[in-house]
Amino acid sequence: MSTNSISRALDNRKFLVFALLAPVLAFFIVFNTIPTLWLLGLSFHKFSLISGTPPEFFGIRNFQDIFFNKNNIWGDLRRTFLFVVVGVSIQTVLGVLLGFLFWGSKDMPGRRVALTLLFTPMVLTPIATGTFFRFIYDPTFGALNFLLSGLFGTGVIDFLGNPSIAYWAVLAVDCWMWTPFMTLMTLAALGSVPKAELEAAEIDRLSWPQRVSMVIWHHGKFILMLGILLRTIDAFKTLDLIIPMTKGGPGQTTRLVAVELNKQSFESFNMGWSSAVSVLLLLISIAMTSIFIYILNRRRKAG
Amino acid sequence: MTVDSGRRAGSGLIMPRRTLLKGSAALGLSGLVSAPFINRLHAQESHPLAGQKIEMNILGIAGWLPSSLGVKMSPMFADFAKEKYGYDVTFGFAEAPFADLFQKAATSLATKSQEYNIIISDSQWLGALAKPGWILKLNDIIAKNKNLQLDWYSDTVVNTYMKYPDGGEDIWGLPQEGDTKALYVRKDLVEDPKEQEAFQAKYGMKLPSTFEDYENLNAEDYEKVMEFFTRPDQGLWGAAWQYSRVYDFCTCPQLSIMWSRGGDIWDPKTGQVEGILNTEDNAKAMELYKSWLKYMPPGATNYGIAEEIDVWTQGKVATCLQWAAVGLAMITPENKDKVLVVPPPKFGKGEEAKRVYCMGGQPWVLNAYNDDAKMRVAIDFLNWWYQPETTLEYAKRGGNPTDKATLSNPDFDSINPWNRAYKFMLEPGRSRDFWHHPRYSEMLAVQQEGFTSYMTGSTESAKQALDYIACQQQQILYDDGFASAGPSDACSAASL
Repeated sequence: MSTNSISRALDNRKFLVFALLAPVLAFFIVFNTIPTLWLLGLSFHKFSLISGTPPEFFGIRNFQDIFFNKNNIWGDLRRTFLFVVVGVSIQTVLGVLLGFLFWGSKDMPGRRVALTLLFTPMVLTPIATGTFFRFIYDPTFGALNFLLSGLFGTGVIDFLGNPSIAYWAVLAVDCWMWTPFMTLMTLAALGSVPKAELEAAEIDRLSWPQRVSMVIWHHGKFILMLGILLRTIDAFKTLDLIIPMTKGGPGQTTRLVAVELNKQSFESFNMGWSSAVSVLLLLISIAMTSIFIYILNRRRKAG
Repeated sequence: MTVDSGRRAGSGLIMPRRTLLKGSAALGLSGLVSAPFINRLHAQESHPLAGQKIEMNILGIAGWLPSSLGVKMSPMFADFAKEKYGYDVTFGFAEAPFADLFQKAATSLATKSQEYNIIISDSQWLGALAKPGWILKLNDIIAKNKNLQLDWYSDTVVNTYMKYPDGGEDIWGLPQEGDTKALYVRKDLVEDPKEQEAFQAKYGMKLPSTFEDYENLNAEDYEKVMEFFTRPDQGLWGAAWQYSRVYDFCTCPQLSIMWSRGGDIWDPKTGQVEGILNTEDNAKAMELYKSWLKYMPPGATNYGIAEEIDVWTQGKVATCLQWAAVGLAMITPENKDKVLVVPPPKFGKGEEAKRVYCMGGQPWVLNAYNDDAKMRVAIDFLNWWYQPETTLEYAKRGGNPTDKATLSNPDFDSINPWNRAYKFMLEPGRSRDFWHHPRYSEMLAVQQEGFTSYMTGSTESAKQALDYIACQQQQILYDDGFASAGPSDACSAASL
């Protein structure tokens, strides 16, 4: 191709757009589309990696098994939804409160250090966090039991071994880890509110709830909702926090859907069944994202 | 010139005596120095890999001392191979914890990779590794290598570490580490005259304090020992056994109690689980095991191997059911004079009392995708591993060999404090392994879930937990095509 034809091609806007997008598209197709299609295909097969036999077409049997609650999959989904709803709600409320606190205390001495410390849990790897907390929660050697017994005389509490506590103990760690993320999103949302409008609201002597609902929410809702959406999707996949703490136990108490999926795919190597469950989770994630986007758009239109 | 030359030539033969002596001395010295190499050259076998450099990789179990012993001894093989076969071999090591090792091995072997040439597998994985053809069948190799035709200590060794399917003749592994359950007892407590007197006064029987006492001890009397030493106010409890949900931690002691009480878990010929595992007797075995939690420190439902080591080495428990192979970690410089390692208790009374505990230990298996050179080195390595001097060295470093010659050595019992109990438990009928079926990990996961659900109180009834496990396992084996019958209609109501 001559220099002229190259420059002509680059002048062509359609070609330029395609050329710039091509690497990303190639990456997306190779690492996303093809594996997803492969996953979809495998979900209609019976295939165990350790059987030594090729995949056998199974029709919709895997999905039928899901419907008829094989491996108590609905129990896992129920626990997961509860984990997501309660966890993300707590993290959002605490995150927003902390966000307002830091937003309103810009002159507080040591604010930067406090913010850095606050964000630390978020940057730790979940597997390490889970391991730390397993030791912190330990009834014999754990620091938490030592503190609670010393301060309140609670006696020994088996946080991760007691089925009525374990789920909430794990959820508390998730909140400890991810509340800072919601604080960060709140600060970002508050940062997007124009100062002029806030000053105007102050001059107009709007009450705090009025300022929040009429000014701050109007500008910050998209970023905050994005934070909630990201946390929801992320909490739905919680796995690496639970594995070192309880491995889904006691019994099935903390067995979230990702924990069971990990077991079925990478311990039992049931690739057909695991693919079907993955397809279900993918559909749930798409549905949740769609609902969030719908709510945002509806409010935007209304606003 | 010619005459002169001739004279010179003739005079060359006539050397001064001092020069001659010097030359002889130098020749003698060089001969002495080179003698070992000459001997080695004579000792070296002609080997197709002579002169080559080979890199091998071993995959072992992280945090597991016997596995690391095998790895640590591999440089000795490098010296041996250089000397005997004339090739250079270096070893790389990879490892993963028990619960993750199969995953690490399987994902590599599924791609026909020779990333790991030699693998320390767990015994129950033999089926899962053999069925897809990932590991080498060793029958022909053993037939061609006399060093591998060992007289093993008992059939338990062969059935646990070597054969798949159960009862067949195909051999897929060779024992790396033999292992059985053993009871670690605080010698300083049970030999204390005051404790003995108090125990006698409370229970009207002697406090078991010798190997022989424990050899004859049944579970009922063992419970008295546990109860006697349970003193939370002193930070002391009667026992530590494993109840954790991780890997097979709760399964091993629980199955041991079931087997010892005469129960079973499946029919390996038909794949029938339902009706064999979920019996009233096995439910009682679970109830008994759960009832023992009151003699253990708080949080014992989370106890696995590591947690047991912690409470034991900190002196918080009087007895501990632990693997013999963990002796190196259980017996520390601080407590080495205070530990007695004995057989775990029998179940039942009188002549009918018996003990059948879970086997532990790991076999060596060879990657079927090794190229010719690596396979040859792997076989040389196994030949070296089972040499009497290697086996003895392994035992001296704390490992548990499995061949009859080493274990019958009169000195064997005294090499390590746990050796006597280990050998005792390796006798036929005292230990057994559970399924070698390829769906092992799936069946185990369900079982661990059911057992721990009951132990932690998440499921109220032992029978309910057993019904759930039996139905799930029946389904797994039926889906696999191994079991002729699927779960019964009653299974539709089985849940935790």
